[in-house]
Order: sequence, then structure tokens, then C-alpha cells
Amino acid sequence: MKKANLPFVFFMCLLFVGALLAASPANPGYQVGDTARDFKLKNVDGKMVSMADHKDAKGFIVTFTCNTCPYSVAYEDRIIALHNKYAPKGYPVIAINPNDATASPKDSYADMQQRARDKNFPFPYLHDETQEITRAYGATRTPHLYIVQKQSDGKYKVAYIGTIDDNSRDASKVEKKYAEAALDELVAGKSISQPNTKAIGCTIKWKEA
Amino acid sequence: MTKLKLNFLLPTLAFVLAASPAFAQEVKVIKYKELEQIRNAPHDTLYVVNFWATWCRPCIKEMPYFEALTEQYKDQPVRVMLVSMDAVEDLDSRVKPFVQKRNLKSDVLLLDEVDANSWIDKLEPKWSGAIPATMVFNNKRKQYEFVEGELSQEALQGMISKYKP
Repeated sequence: MKKANLPFVFFMCLLFVGALLAASPANPGYQVGDTARDFKLKNVDGKMVSMADHKDAKGFIVTFTCNTCPYSVAYEDRIIALHNKYAPKGYPVIAINPNDATASPKDSYADMQQRARDKNFPFPYLHDETQEITRAYGATRTPHLYIVQKQSDGKYKVAYIGTIDDNSRDASKVEKKYAEAALDELVAGKSISQPNTKAIGCTIKWKEA
Repeated sequence: MTKLKLNFLLPTLAFVLAASPAFAQEVKVIKYKELEQIRNAPHDTLYVVNFWATWCRPCIKEMPYFEALTEQYKDQPVRVMLVSMDAVEDLDSRVKPFVQKRNLKSDVLLLDEVDANSWIDKLEPKWSGAIPATMVFNNKRKQYEFVEGELSQEALQGMISKYKP
């Protein structure tokens, strides 16, 4: 390539990057198959928690949930049960509260500590104060699950995004346990037959811009 | 008053009392199929369908904006429908009292479907399931817009004036 063309190439690159930026105004977050980033967030016990701390885990049930959403509250016991069933199989729950405490005061760190004590959460309950992790994952509602699987290179691959089951209101009437089905397949080394599910949930309470 | 008169009056009174709230809002319980029919309505009408629930704070915050549309466009082909995501078990204990207390004038429906995963993608693949969510459409004019999240009154008014027939 001739030297004289370099400014032109540079200009075209700028145009290209500009077009890319314009084409993706909002980060849609992770899709199944993407690599999920690790995080370092404050747990209700005051310690910082990362996925990398759990050396023995095969993956994680990263659960965006909160104190205030009735759907989250309805699912608390089921999230605990999910952890108790799958942590021994290598997939513990890590709960992350994505809500801004100014927009949703009952989701403050102190209220999270209280809730974790009251419910005796057997898993970490982390505060995503800057909402950076929530944005990176692309969580939009609570509860919103991201099941990630640790790869041989140490990366975390998103295996499942969605809901826990098909009946938020009444655990005794659940017919389809979406998250458990995915985890069973994951633990058995099979591909997940239904890696995306949806549910009605509360919007995440974002910081005022 | 004779016993005979009482026997007549009491049921009449009961009937009148029971019938008068007919002026107040009814809540129609629907299944997904009926929601789909609304979504596919062929009329030259602008449908404004808002998904909400009694437990959803931002939904309740934006509800007056939808009520204002109903009032503002009452003689025009604009139809506001508030579709509750509350459980059907909460219809009498929560939804109806809510609707009556707020004296809602828009059409209020309750979607009686337990497994949201079975219908959300059929209705709108872009919707994650978070509420509030709003869809505005006029099928006759092939107009459609979907918004997930809370709307400001300006944004909602803007959408309606853009599409209203």
C-alpha cells in the first residue's frame, strides 16, 4: 500500500467505527454462547465476591434479584432451593441486586443485609452499586437468571438466560422447571434444549441519568 | 312496613346496589388467544395496550397518562387497554379494588396466563418480560411501536399524536 493512502485508510476506519457505534446505541447484553465477564461486588457480609473466588465451581447461577419486586420475593425460597440442589453439583447461586437504592430505597445495602439475614440466604447477595455488571449482562428485570459454565480456559460461557419456572405465584403449581432442566442438562454434559426463557418481572430501577 | 314489602324491597335494593357499580369499571379476564385477537384487530383504530400490574410501581406512576388519553380521545378511534399481569387469583382481592379506587375509565383486562414464556415471544420477541411495557398499533395503517419500560407523559402523547387516525 502506498504511503499516501494512509490518511485515507485512517479516515475510512474512523467512518467504519462511527457507523458501528451508531448502529448499536444500547448494549443489548449477553446472548447464550457469549462469554460473561467476572465481577467484584460487595456482598452483604462486607466482603468482595468474584466468580474467580470459587475455584471448585463448574459454573454459576447468576441471579439478578432484589428486595422489592413481588416476583423476586415470590421466588426467594425457590432460589434458595436451587442453590441447595445445584451448589453440590458445582453450580452455586450468586445473587446480584441490580436496583439503584435512590430509585428504590428498600434495595439499599442495609436493607439487603436485613433481607439476607431474615431469609438466611445460603449464597452471596451482592450489590451492583454502579449497575455496570447489570448493564454488561443485559439484565432487564428481576428475577433474571444467567447460568454460566466455566470453560477449560477459565472463561465463563453463558449457557442459559431466563426464568426459574412457569409459575411465579404458586410454587406448588409449577409444571415446567426451566432453570432446573437447563442445569440438569448442563451437569449431564448435554446441550441445553431450551436455553432462553422469559417471564414477567419488575423493571430494573436504574440510576437517574 | 309489612313483611311482604320488605321481601320485595330488599332484593330490589340489593339489585340496584349490585347494578350501580356497572358504571364503574369491569375487569375482563382474557386468555392469550384473545390478546392476540386484539393485537390483530383489523380496524382503523389506534390501540394503545399497556401491560401493568397492581404491584408494579412504575406502572402505577404512568397509569394517569393512559387515563388522560382515554379522556382526551374519547370521541376518536383511539382505544386504551390496560392489560393486568396480576394473577387471576388476585382479581377480586387486588385488581378490582384497585380499578374501582382509581375509578379507571380505560378498558381494563387481566391476562390469565401462568407461563409467560409460552406467549411473550409470540406477541413481541423484543420484550424481555419486564413491565411496564406498551404497544401502540393500527393494523389498518400497518403502524406498530413497542416500548419496554416506563413512559413519560410527553413520550406517550408524542406516540399517540404521531399515529392517531
